[in-house]
Amino acid sequence: MKTPRLSPQTLRVLERFVERPTAWRYGYELSRETGLKSGTLYPILMRLAKYSLLETKWVTTEDGVPPRHTYRLTPSGVELVRATFAQQRATLKVRRAAFSGGQA
Amino acid sequence: MIPAAPRTVAIALLRFAIWIAPHDTHDWGHAMLNELNHVEGNWSALIWSLGGAGVLAKHAIVALILPGSHRRTVSTATELFEKEGPMRKPTLAVIAVCVVASLLFFVAPVFRQAFGVSLAQWHNVFDVERSFGYPRPNPELDALAKKAEQNRDAEALAFIAVRYPNAIQRARFADEAVHLDPTLNWVYAVAGSAYLSPSEIDRRVSMLKQWDPGNALPHLFAAQKIGATVTYSKEFPQGKLEPSPAWEKEMNAAFQSPKLENYLDRQSQLDRRVLSRYRLDDPFEAASGDDRHGFPNYGVWECSLYAESLLESGKSLESRGDRKAAFEKYWAVARFGQMMGDGAGFMFVMSKDMKEAYTRLGALSQIEGNNGAAAFYAALADQFDKTADKQRLLLRNSIQGSEVSQWNAFLVRLSGLLMLICALLLLLCAVGIVVRSRSFKLSSLHPSRLTLALGFGAAVGSLLSSAVLFVSYWPYSELLQRFLSKGDDSGMFELSAFLRDAQHPLGSRFSLGTWVVSSSITVFYFWFAVTILCALALAVAVFRHYQTRSRVHDAA
Repeated sequence: MKTPRLSPQTLRVLERFVERPTAWRYGYELSRETGLKSGTLYPILMRLAKYSLLETKWVTTEDGVPPRHTYRLTPSGVELVRATFAQQRATLKVRRAAFSGGQA
Repeated sequence: MIPAAPRTVAIALLRFAIWIAPHDTHDWGHAMLNELNHVEGNWSALIWSLGGAGVLAKHAIVALILPGSHRRTVSTATELFEKEGPMRKPTLAVIAVCVVASLLFFVAPVFRQAFGVSLAQWHNVFDVERSFGYPRPNPELDALAKKAEQNRDAEALAFIAVRYPNAIQRARFADEAVHLDPTLNWVYAVAGSAYLSPSEIDRRVSMLKQWDPGNALPHLFAAQKIGATVTYSKEFPQGKLEPSPAWEKEMNAAFQSPKLENYLDRQSQLDRRVLSRYRLDDPFEAASGDDRHGFPNYGVWECSLYAESLLESGKSLESRGDRKAAFEKYWAVARFGQMMGDGAGFMFVMSKDMKEAYTRLGALSQIEGNNGAAAFYAALADQFDKTADKQRLLLRNSIQGSEVSQWNAFLVRLSGLLMLICALLLLLCAVGIVVRSRSFKLSSLHPSRLTLALGFGAAVGSLLSSAVLFVSYWPYSELLQRFLSKGDDSGMFELSAFLRDAQHPLGSRFSLGTWVVSSSITVFYFWFAVTILCALALAVAVFRHYQTRSRVHDAA
């Protein structure tokens, strides 16, 4: 499966998603939580959706207010994120071991 | 509740971005737009919108460059330009953005000034008399003259007196200025004496002599009025001065005067005050005083003639043993030449005479046994060529301008011409679309691919040429501002040279080997070609008309 380039900003977004994998998240909410501006956040979301790692849905919240676009990870997205974070943790362990003279 | 201005702008911006964005990004555009309702703070909403619009614009540009990268997922039959494919809207949007951006340049006063300068080349084309050097009326000066006369503003009248194209009016304005403010007497010198009656020149010269008794300048005006009598022959190809006591008296007075001031500094300061007072930002008016040298037309040449006669007379005195009188003659030449250099940068005109004067002074000092003075004069004579060359170069640069200003003048003329061509192309495209669609309604306009390509090229060309025009004129606007706000006129020569180059139509004043084609000749050939083309077009039209008529006649 092709995967998108996982930049630090992308990882920051994925972290938020993986906290509550089944919850639908709003764009502005993600922006506030990650500290990313719309110009950075939306290209990430668009890229994740393009690779079918993210699913999107329009939801109506209140009467008279336009529907909002919501996002959550697809099963393959959750799987990729978990694998990525597991690999990162493993890499981190190896690095720590290397820098602390073999005492992990 | 009425949304605040930043939020309104934010909404409009995102809507426009969605309009230009490829179809497969519309959902995302609407997602960002709808999130705006939940963004706290109006300025935060604007920042949100700017980021989102940037994302959509990037996709629009990518779709434009790589048409296959964004494919339509939804097709709606009612959409604008549906039949022409997905490229139409981004192309139209780019055209609109470029046109708006080009027009926005006009908001900046510097750009308006630059555009005015770029149009100056057309004055010579459409005003043929001007291209042949005839003085033409200047409406802006006329308007200023009217105001100055109403306000009884002596300085403004003096400003006009130096620039007005008509000599009789120029003289009248100078008189009015001096009448209102007698300290402006120097205007008579700067405005010149061309086309004035001999009695009027006498009156002005006597006023100048009275007002500034130590200055050599009024004597030079008086000498010019009398005129040097010169005969040319094989022995004297440069002309031999014939005896003329009245002329010699004035020239002698000039050479004996303690100073030589051409009042250009006073004129520069007065120009600055008048330009600021009347809020005139026309660079041509500001710089038009800088092409004057402040001398009578033939003054510099007559000074050189008189210096030669003094040297001759010094040599003759020396041969008769009157070394003291000879020394005075040589000294007068050297001293006046230095004043020419200090006051006006014209030392090089008398360079041959001055070098000879210093050499003779050195030789005389040696004979008198004054070795220190002899060495000093000899050193001055040695250094003289360098100083004169430096002045010659400075004057040439002030007339021709540096290579940078010549290049910038070329860019200004070229970009101004391109702007006009692009505007014409855009207009033709717009008319073509309306004629083809036979409607003014946006939804029924169907531009062809060729029209779109032409419009796109013209819009981008217009934006680029506007930017080039702005950038290449900017330094000269700075020079003008520096003069107006701080009185620093060190860059005015450069500005004058740049403006002089900018006035020549593009492509004119080029050289073919030793033959330099002047702008007046180019203008003549331009109109000759236009006339021939019009005559040819008329002939073709008449021929086709008769051909069609005879065919109809035969068919009947």
